[in-house]
Amino acid sequence: MPAVPETYSLGLPVELGKIDKELKKLWAQSEGAMTRATLVNLAVYNEEPGSLEKNTQLIARITENHACRAIVIGADCQAHEGRVEAWISAHCHVSGAGTKQICSEQISFRLEGPCTKLLPSIVFSHLDSDLPFYLWWQSEFREPMDPQLWAWVDRLIYDSQTWKDFSAQMRLVECAQQEAKQRIVLCDLNWTRLDKIRLALAQFFDHPASHHRFAKIDKLRIDFAPGFRSAALLFAGWLGAQLNWRADKAKSSHELRFVSPSARKIDIELRERDGQPVHEVALTTGDIEFRVTHAKSGDLLEVSRTKTGERRVPQLMPAGKSDPVSLMSEELMRGGLHHVYLHAVNSVRELL
Amino acid sequence: MNRAADQPDLNPLREGISARAVPQPCTIVIFGATGDLTHRKLIPALYNLAADGDLPPAVTIVGFARREKSDSQFRKELENATRKFSRQIVRDDIWKTFGESIFYHRSEFEDEAGYNALAKRLDKIDKESGTRGNRLFYLAAGPDQFESILKHLKAAALNETCKGSWARVIVEKPFGTDLASARELNHVVRNSFTEEQTYRIDHFLGKETAQNILVMRFANAIFAPLWNTHYVDSVQITAAETLGVESRAGFYERAGALRDMVQNHLLQLLCLVAMEPPTDLSADSIRDEKVKVIRSLRRLSRNEVAANIVRGQYTEGAIHGDPVVGYREEQNVKPDSQTETFVALRLFIDNWRWADVPIYMRVGKRLPKSATDISVHFKKAPAVLFNRGMTDQNVLVIRIQPDEGISLRIHAKVPGASFRIEPVKMDFHYGTSFGKASPEAYERLLLDAMSGDATLFARRDEVEEAWAFIDPIEEAWHAKKDAPGLFFYPAGSWGPEEADDLLARHGRAWRRL
Repeated sequence: MPAVPETYSLGLPVELGKIDKELKKLWAQSEGAMTRATLVNLAVYNEEPGSLEKNTQLIARITENHACRAIVIGADCQAHEGRVEAWISAHCHVSGAGTKQICSEQISFRLEGPCTKLLPSIVFSHLDSDLPFYLWWQSEFREPMDPQLWAWVDRLIYDSQTWKDFSAQMRLVECAQQEAKQRIVLCDLNWTRLDKIRLALAQFFDHPASHHRFAKIDKLRIDFAPGFRSAALLFAGWLGAQLNWRADKAKSSHELRFVSPSARKIDIELRERDGQPVHEVALTTGDIEFRVTHAKSGDLLEVSRTKTGERRVPQLMPAGKSDPVSLMSEELMRGGLHHVYLHAVNSVRELL
Repeated sequence: MNRAADQPDLNPLREGISARAVPQPCTIVIFGATGDLTHRKLIPALYNLAADGDLPPAVTIVGFARREKSDSQFRKELENATRKFSRQIVRDDIWKTFGESIFYHRSEFEDEAGYNALAKRLDKIDKESGTRGNRLFYLAAGPDQFESILKHLKAAALNETCKGSWARVIVEKPFGTDLASARELNHVVRNSFTEEQTYRIDHFLGKETAQNILVMRFANAIFAPLWNTHYVDSVQITAAETLGVESRAGFYERAGALRDMVQNHLLQLLCLVAMEPPTDLSADSIRDEKVKVIRSLRRLSRNEVAANIVRGQYTEGAIHGDPVVGYREEQNVKPDSQTETFVALRLFIDNWRWADVPIYMRVGKRLPKSATDISVHFKKAPAVLFNRGMTDQNVLVIRIQPDEGISLRIHAKVPGASFRIEPVKMDFHYGTSFGKASPEAYERLLLDAMSGDATLFARRDEVEEAWAFIDPIEEAWHAKKDAPGLFFYPAGSWGPEEADDLLARHGRAWRRL
């Protein structure tokens, strides 16, 4: 596909009715030097000005590890007149195995006017057949939720950290899921953000001999960065749901309380401070403190357990990254149904 | 209440995080810690697991070897080796923590006191690091040392465990040199460790594509109806390398290609291709089905060995344009060596599914390229309509290494007014579809051993049945009278002509790699 060099331009402008034809033409021009690869259809929807270019950059990086057909949509729903423009481009990289260029194609649309009405027809007509359809929704959800669209979505990806009203947005998401007869998998990047830190804490309890400590947990402290209170609450909700705690009346916005099945009280302190989204977690169970904190390097977690009279054995684990490309890559790689996420949400729904 | 919390032994916090069995904190004791395997494979694999966050907390590594050295010297050597052989760049901060969990224990393999001291040291590590009495003993020393190591482990009670902890032993190949020695080795192992505690490692099974054979067969309904004698004409398994014997001449002279590759790696691959669906994914269900395949292999009489098996040895030639010496000119090889560096076999699995389907295997050194793959050749379509005079078959290829993937050759019409049919290839490349690099085989296998998952390890009966099949071939080759000949092939060719004849006389040919 020599006609489209790897830049973050939107590529070749094309007429709407000729997108498939133009794509074929581009592949024919590559004369077999490049291999088109695709595992999923990934549609990205955003209503912010300039989002098309920004998302093209993200897609270029995501496709380095996750071959897909990307459908990037920038919408201006306030425009009075309806208009649609389209571009095609490709993101190519040299495969690890050799010198062959592996390419993912991107179709970009700029929609003006009553956008969401146009969305299903635009997306459906350009899906690569027989492949799953992931929709990355970067804007706030709004009513009415088009049942036609949701019926086709396999995974709905969003970041609840950006939501102004969690309950209202979650209600819309759940409505979309109902429209799809529960088939859609809900993927919250705010939840993905917690993957590594959850894993780091979970591993302390892998040995059955340590399970008795669950019943002794009495304190949890979560340090989070400004703007990431929802991530901290999801973390607390996860522990609550998995350990069957019940949310009790909150003392304040920074002091929560759960009650265990044996009526033991678990105090949760939420501390806002500069740093990583969820910078540190400390869990106290009896005379032991389990701590997971971001190491100075930022991309590693320092994991340790402290008990009086015992040598502290710190361990380093990958911390993962919180940028959209890393979160999306993690999400695309892991798959799965995310039931645990829904349990976590339900556990702290009133607090979010 | 959630599902995980309902089951007392599961960690409810793991739900949804990890689909695999969880490895447990343990101390890994490596016997032969100063050797090549430790430096090139084991420590880099453990480092990569640590860097990816897959190693459980508090895993400690103790190197057991004869040479005098301190913990810090040992760590430095391993750090250098890991920087050289690791699949990912070694980070100073990760190595620092990882390195601190490595210790060196100097002792002779025959010295009882050395094992008693090891036991005390492991107890101390348990207390300090929280490894909970879990021990994984890795026999990376020469097989002649296994007996001594295992006996002393037992004498020092290191094979025993207290409640809630475990002791396991990983045995590196070769698992004997024939059935008698394999039985003897298994007997020695069993004297110290139960079969459930024993993990016989075959790194081929740790490769992503080898594992994918089961997924391809049993997660895709389209293959199941075709996977039998009614539709399959033949199966070929090739393991080719461009390398010669390198520094392994001493071992290779005694082993040869049949013992070195066919008895373990190739028969394991064959098992994955030919086995029946297991009742579940437990280690024993899968291994039960694998061992049935080996048991069903048609045993060859002495006369049949010559007709169905070709052995060869490379002579001087060229690899990638560079001249190379013949096998007999290699260092530490006898000038009249009869050791085979190539073997081609025509086998049959005498069961309902595979009756009369020939299985062709070939393995060799100094072949034109390095590649391991399996190809399933389907029967030709009836010679009517488009197929008159057509010789090509549909072929499904599973590439194990390099360029892991799967391809299917089908027939298509060449555009134009006439009905010209040509073969075309539908190709799936792991590297193209999945950007993520596959972990090294040893990473997966070490993790499995720490998790207590023996699926990808050979069971005692698998090993013994494989030798029971191989022994008559070796006996025929080494018979004083009428032994089948050794054929020669120039380095850089695809083996002796006789290997081609093995297929040609039945109207077949080796697949072009």
